[in-house]
Amino acid sequence: MKKAQPWIGLIARLSLGGVLLYAGYLKALTPDKSMMAVRAYELLPIWLANIFGVVLPWLEIGAGVLLIIGIAIRYVAIFGSALMITFVIAISQAWARGLSIDCGCFGDGGAIDPSQTKYLETILRDIGFALLGFYLIRYPLTKFALEKRESRQEKPSHALTPGE
Amino acid sequence: MSSKAPQGPDNVTRNLVIGMVVLVVAVGAIFSVISNRENTSAALPSSVSQDEGYGIVFNGDLTGVPVIDIWEDFQCPVCARFEQTNGDYIEKLIEEKKAKVVYHTLSFLGPESVLAANAAACASDENKFLGFHKAFYQNLPAENSGAVTTDYLVGLGQGVGITSEKFKNCVAGLNYQGWVNNVAAAGSEKNVNSTPTVFINGKEIRRATSGTDLGEYFDPSAFAKAVEGK
Repeated sequence: MKKAQPWIGLIARLSLGGVLLYAGYLKALTPDKSMMAVRAYELLPIWLANIFGVVLPWLEIGAGVLLIIGIAIRYVAIFGSALMITFVIAISQAWARGLSIDCGCFGDGGAIDPSQTKYLETILRDIGFALLGFYLIRYPLTKFALEKRESRQEKPSHALTPGE
Repeated sequence: MSSKAPQGPDNVTRNLVIGMVVLVVAVGAIFSVISNRENTSAALPSSVSQDEGYGIVFNGDLTGVPVIDIWEDFQCPVCARFEQTNGDYIEKLIEEKKAKVVYHTLSFLGPESVLAANAAACASDENKFLGFHKAFYQNLPAENSGAVTTDYLVGLGQGVGITSEKFKNCVAGLNYQGWVNNVAAAGSEKNVNSTPTVFINGKEIRRATSGTDLGEYFDPSAFAKAVEGK
């Protein structure tokens, strides 16, 4: 198990990072749709939803890149999990309120026909990605990461050696 | 101090990479926010009113008649269906001066929507918007298949009697690209989240709720009722 841990971490990193990068890329290409998708959740005031719709794809791209190359893994994983949990909450409330929207996760979005909603699948998928993020927060040391040690662990070891 | 690999260079690389990623994210996001803003110095086609969400207005001078705002994307098949269902009726309302009609051509489906919306604005300058609009939907090409080109749009224009050199240049030069972007920005502000979205006197008409119910969008008599009131 101990040996498998960094490998599981690698898979978690590439999956979570890959999906963030891909989703961000698709949305960054179609900002109109992305803004529309955020507005359709009816959670934020329109002007804020529009800004969020434009900025979010770029944050996803950044987080995705950092996860894939393996830098600041724990912090990015915290961001990624928080994002996924936010999505789960947003989709759940849309479902509960009876809105019929596309989640807008991959560059689509907006109001759609009620028969085409996929709330449960989307929620389960995002919970899965959130769990991958939790795994990386707990075990940030993974195979083939550019950063070999997690910064959090560096400082105490530094500070302790001279004192002891 | 420890037996681990040297940390100096590792940290430098780390911070450098983080810095680069943060920079790309910031530049991308800021550029994106700015380019999706309204540009008040953009060239406007004739019969466009900034106060009407940059829409192309028919019968703007009439008062006391219903106001129909149509938000659509030229590449949206459901908009083609709306046009098929109610297009002739709406044109009749315009001709007989029984309604004020505002067309808002969104472009969120992709670059070919921008080309089409721009060409429609060029057609508006020739007083041929309605003909062009109808002809485009009648021959709706598959979404972003590469079918909508300058030649295609100029040909479509010729089909409805636009032969001027000015139209050609306007289509080829994307003269109204800034305006197309402004329409999109106005749609974001108006919270238009799907196409077609139709408002009558500022109130959205009723959407279909199930397979058998066509709502006011796709049942011509229901739409006419919504326009004429009560």
